[in-house]
Order: sequence, then structure tokens, then C-alpha cells
Amino acid sequence: MGEIKLSDVNKSFGSVHVLKDIDLHIKDGEFVVFVGPSGCGKSTLLRTIAGLEKITGGVIEIDGKRVNEVSAADRGLAMVFQSYALYPHMSVRQNLAFGLENSNMPKNEVAERIAEAARMLEIEPYLERRPGQLSGGQRQRVAIGRAIVRRPTAFLLDEPLSNLDAELRVSTRAELAALHARLGSTMIYVTHDQVEAMTLAHRIVVMRAGKIEQVGTPLDLYNTPANRFVAGFIGAPHMNFLAGEVAELQTGTATLTTSGGHRLLVPFSGHSLSVGDKLTIGIRPQHITLANDPGSLKVKVRLVEALGSETVIHADLNGEKLLAVVPGQKQLSPGDEAYFSVAGAPLHLFDRNGLRVKGS
Amino acid sequence: MNTNMSTATLTSRLGGLLMAPVNLLMRVLDIPLRAVQKAAGIGGMAAVFLAPNMLIFGIFVLLPLVINFVYSMTGGTAFFLSEREFVGAAQYERLFQCANYLDPMSCQEDAFWTAVGNTFWFVVLQVSLMILTALITALILNRDLAARSFWRAVFFFPVLLSPVVVGLIWKWILQRQGLLNFGLYQFGVEPYTWLTDRNWTFVATIGVSLWAHMGFYALILLAGLQAIPKDLYEAAEMDGTKPARVFWRITLPLLMPNLLVVVVLALIRAVQIFDEVYVLTGGGPGTSTLYLTQYIYETGFASALRNPGLAAAASILMGLVLVVLTLVQLGIGQRGEKKGKR
Repeated sequence: MGEIKLSDVNKSFGSVHVLKDIDLHIKDGEFVVFVGPSGCGKSTLLRTIAGLEKITGGVIEIDGKRVNEVSAADRGLAMVFQSYALYPHMSVRQNLAFGLENSNMPKNEVAERIAEAARMLEIEPYLERRPGQLSGGQRQRVAIGRAIVRRPTAFLLDEPLSNLDAELRVSTRAELAALHARLGSTMIYVTHDQVEAMTLAHRIVVMRAGKIEQVGTPLDLYNTPANRFVAGFIGAPHMNFLAGEVAELQTGTATLTTSGGHRLLVPFSGHSLSVGDKLTIGIRPQHITLANDPGSLKVKVRLVEALGSETVIHADLNGEKLLAVVPGQKQLSPGDEAYFSVAGAPLHLFDRNGLRVKGS
Repeated sequence: MNTNMSTATLTSRLGGLLMAPVNLLMRVLDIPLRAVQKAAGIGGMAAVFLAPNMLIFGIFVLLPLVINFVYSMTGGTAFFLSEREFVGAAQYERLFQCANYLDPMSCQEDAFWTAVGNTFWFVVLQVSLMILTALITALILNRDLAARSFWRAVFFFPVLLSPVVVGLIWKWILQRQGLLNFGLYQFGVEPYTWLTDRNWTFVATIGVSLWAHMGFYALILLAGLQAIPKDLYEAAEMDGTKPARVFWRITLPLLMPNLLVVVVLALIRAVQIFDEVYVLTGGGPGTSTLYLTQYIYETGFASALRNPGLAAAASILMGLVLVVLTLVQLGIGQRGEKKGKR
């Protein structure tokens, strides 16, 4: 079992309120990723679950038991640190055994567990080496191995891939996903990299300034972001935002005008909009297509990034920046004029407070 | 804008004024240095610039070392080398003439062996206690104490005092009419002659030198403790490691490089103990706190039967011990560097 429930959790460091009214229910076996910009409180939240930080308000429950007063060691969780936190003077084997020896586990069982973890993580050849003699990727595996041997209720991983190079990060990411599938344990993973979050998570928790902005599956967050922050944070490159105004409302559709006077037709079935309302229109760069139609958005190309399989076009629409990612290779140069079409593209509408407009 | 400009102008003028003597000196030096460079070549200029320092080192360190060695091969009470007769290794033979090395009284130079014995026990006890107290102090100062900086300063301040001042302070405290007896008297305890009791003086010399130097070693250990990543302790906490096991299995092994440096530095310093003890007890009562450096000083300069040759021989022997300790320290340093690179 590895069910974790946070109710109204608050944490302050002196006068600084770093976690605000956190409510979260993590189901057994779930892979949950905390994501957000630096300083949003995601690592602190993980550390409060681990028991390394005391909360100043609220309740943390693991498998239905309140653990606020339970020490980190007795919560049955294992943590993988960003720096790996391997003991540099001990061999890999001693590193793996250290935690088990604390509980006076019989030697043969310790050896058995180490052998099993080493086999699973393919670190058998390095068992007698010290962390200083291992590469970053190998150290990372040892750190995960140290967590695995404890057979914890849940794994807590604090930016475990951030010290690896880009290529290794991609392969280790896939290995982590496979490991989770194999172990079936609850995993809570902290990262500021939204690609890691999208590829690994069952559910993503997006945080900002100590608060949870949205919790949902990766595609939920991508398709229906709850607010402008989540819309901008999830998806790469970031979503485009244009200022707009409601010009007309018909049954099932709304007509919006952009600051440049372009008219956009949006499916809309709610009652929360009125003619004249100011809005922010969100368009994902991948949903923009190039058109020859003078009725589309007329933009001035500022920069073209040719990636081979796709082309990233940075453009200017009446002073507002617009980014488009179009498939294939396009013959465009900075200074060219082009037409961007958003016909049929899912448009995201956000009100003045940045919240998603209901019914859009 | 105007104010900024005038400030900038003023600064540059002031700078110019301050640099004027330097510029003048450089111009004056320029002429002879050019001539020297012409003679020595560009490659030889490094030696020219090093020469003054090497000259000072030669005169005040190397030359005395050589002269000292020559003195150790001569005999008599005359002070000038030209008036002294060559005796070969006789002074060393005299130092080593002993029926039983464990019994100083059976040796021809009993004071030397008494001093060696005293120094040995002083070094063993002082260094062990020094490591222990410095380590405990560093561990306490590394915790989240209130007014931590203040406490760190409190333990470090005695290090800044001159050894003579340290000796005087403790003499005022420990002498018969001193502060300690005054304090004890308030509680009805009879005054005691701390500095004339053989056992207490030995303890006092150890205690005073601990007080005076412990802050320095605690600081080195504190730096070592702070270099241990916090993550390791958190990982140990998650693993449910008991505090004692954290200390023995994590803190101590990771502090070992610093601890070894402290041990060797403390050893070297303890072997050379002199000034504070000389002021505090003068080596007494009797020879109970006579340490090697004081023996050398008194044999060479202070006693009525002064024997500079014998003092020189003893100092050469002590020098050899210090060379060994220094080599050990260098070895540790190099091993640490290699580890660091790996």
C-alpha cells in the first residue's frame, strides 16, 4: 500500500509562508509528478511528506494513518535526492546495506535484497566501487537502488535526473517509467522540467508560489488548463497569448476580435461571457498552420528555427509575439510577411483573472 | 550628472596623486633593472626577483640551521664558534649515555631525558585531550545554537593572544593569591598552591595550552563538518540511523582528512611547547614541567653551566622529530589532494 493524503497542509519558514492550504490525494501505485518553477514549494512539499520538514498546519496521512508526528524513518518512505546523497567513503554495496543494517536485518536477507536491486538496476559490476569511481548515471542508479532495497511504501524522488546530461536523462527517464511499472509502488517525483512531468506522470500537480494550481493527467492539463499559468507552463514551446474581446455571441459559438482587429470564431456553450468582455486567447504553437488566405492572421516573421522535421517561426502580430511550430521545412526568412491560420485550432479562453472561461 | 562627473574626476586625481610616488619609484628602478635584465636575460629575471626573499630565508633560516649543526659538533662554554673546539659526535654521545633510557637519573644528561619524558607525556595527553575537546566543541558549534557566531568567537579569541600573555593570565589565576584561590575561598575552600604542586603544575600546563590553542583546531574541524553535505544526514535520517551510528559511520570518516591535519599540527605544536609554560611555571617545581624546548634554551643560554654545543645537539634531535611529523603531514596533504582529484 502507498496511499498518501494531504489535507490543508501549510508550511512556513519564519514569516515566509511556503506551502498554502495543500489538499492532495495520491492513490496507491500512482506516479505523481510535482512540477512548477523554481521556488514554488514543490521540493518543500516532498520533504514534508518525507518527514524531513515539519508542517505548520494540516494533516498528512499515509495509508490512512496520520503521520504528522511520525519521524522520517518510521514513515516507510524512501527518498532519492537530487545530489544522490551517496556516502562517498562507502562502497556501493555498503551504501545499499547501510539503511537495512539500521533495522538489524539478518545478513543473508540484506545480501539478497542488494543482489536483487543490483540485478534490476544492472549495477552488479560496480558493487565494490565507491561513488567517486562511478559516472553520474551509475550513481543515479545506486541512489535508486538504495531506495529500492528498503521496499518502501512510496518512493520520493527529488529532481533525480537534473544532474545528468540531456541524452542520459532521456534514457533514464524511460528506465524510471519501466521501473515504476515493474515495482508498482507509489512514486512522487519532483521536477521543474515539464517534459519529464508529461512523459512520466499518471497525474501532474502544477504548483506556483506554494499553491496547487491544477492536478490532472498530462493530457487534461494540456487540453484544458485551468488557468493561464498552467496553460503557459505545460507544453513546449509555451502557449501563445493574445489579447481579445468578445464581439458577438451566438448559440454554440463566440466571435472574438484580437487587438489587431482579426475576428476569430470559437466554440462556446457557456453563459459566462458577455459582449465586450476582455479576454486572453491562448493558442498552442503546434495548432497554428501557415495559410495563403489574406483573411488569416497577418504576421511579420522575426526569426525562423529550422529543426528539420519541423520549423519554429517567431512572428509579430501587431506588436504581440506569436510562435508557430509547423511540420516540415519552410522557406521563410526574417522580415517576410506570412499568414497564420488558427481555423479549427482549439483556442483557450482566459478571463481577466487568468482563469479558464467556463464553456470554452 | 555634474556631481557624478566631479566625483569621477576627483577619484582619478586622487588616484593619480597616490600613484605618483609609485610611478616615480618605477622610473628610478627601471634603469638598473633594464641593465640587470640585459645581463641576466629574461629567464634569469625570476631568480633576480626571488633573490631578496631567498637571501632573507638563507640568512635567518638556513644559515642558523647549518651553524647550529656545526655548534653541535663543538664543545666548551665559549660562545663564539672560532673559540670552540671540535668534538665530533661527543655531544650526541653524551645525550645518549644512559644505563636505562626509562630512568632519566641513570643518564649522564638526566635533565635532557627528564625533559624528553615530560614532553612525551605532555604531547600524548595534550594532543589526545586537544583532539577530543576540539572535536566536541566543533560538533557543538556546528549545531543550530542561539548566538552561534558569538560562541565561535569566544572559543577562538584565546588563539589571538600571545603565549606570554596566556602564561601571565593563568599565573594570575592560579598563583597562591590568584583568582582561583580567591574564588574557592568564597566557598570556604582553603587556598592551595597550585603552581608548586608537581602534579597540578603538569595538569595546569596541559589545561592552559588546551585553552590557548583549542579554538584554532576546533575551527579547522568546524570547517570540515560544514563541508559534509546536509543531504547525507537527511539520507541517514530517512534510513532511521541512530545519532551515534551517524557520528561513527558518516561524520567521523568524512571528517578524517581534517582530523589527521589537526592531529599532526597539534603534535608539532605540542613538541615545541615553551613560552606559556616558561612564564607560568618556569619548568618547575623541580623539573616537573621542564619540556624539551626549555631544556635547550636553558642549556644553551640561561644556566650557569651553559653548554651551547649540547643544546645544539638536543635541538637537532628535536628537529629530526619535527621533520618526521612534517613529512607525515605533507603525506596526508598529498593523499587528500589525490583523493580530491579523483
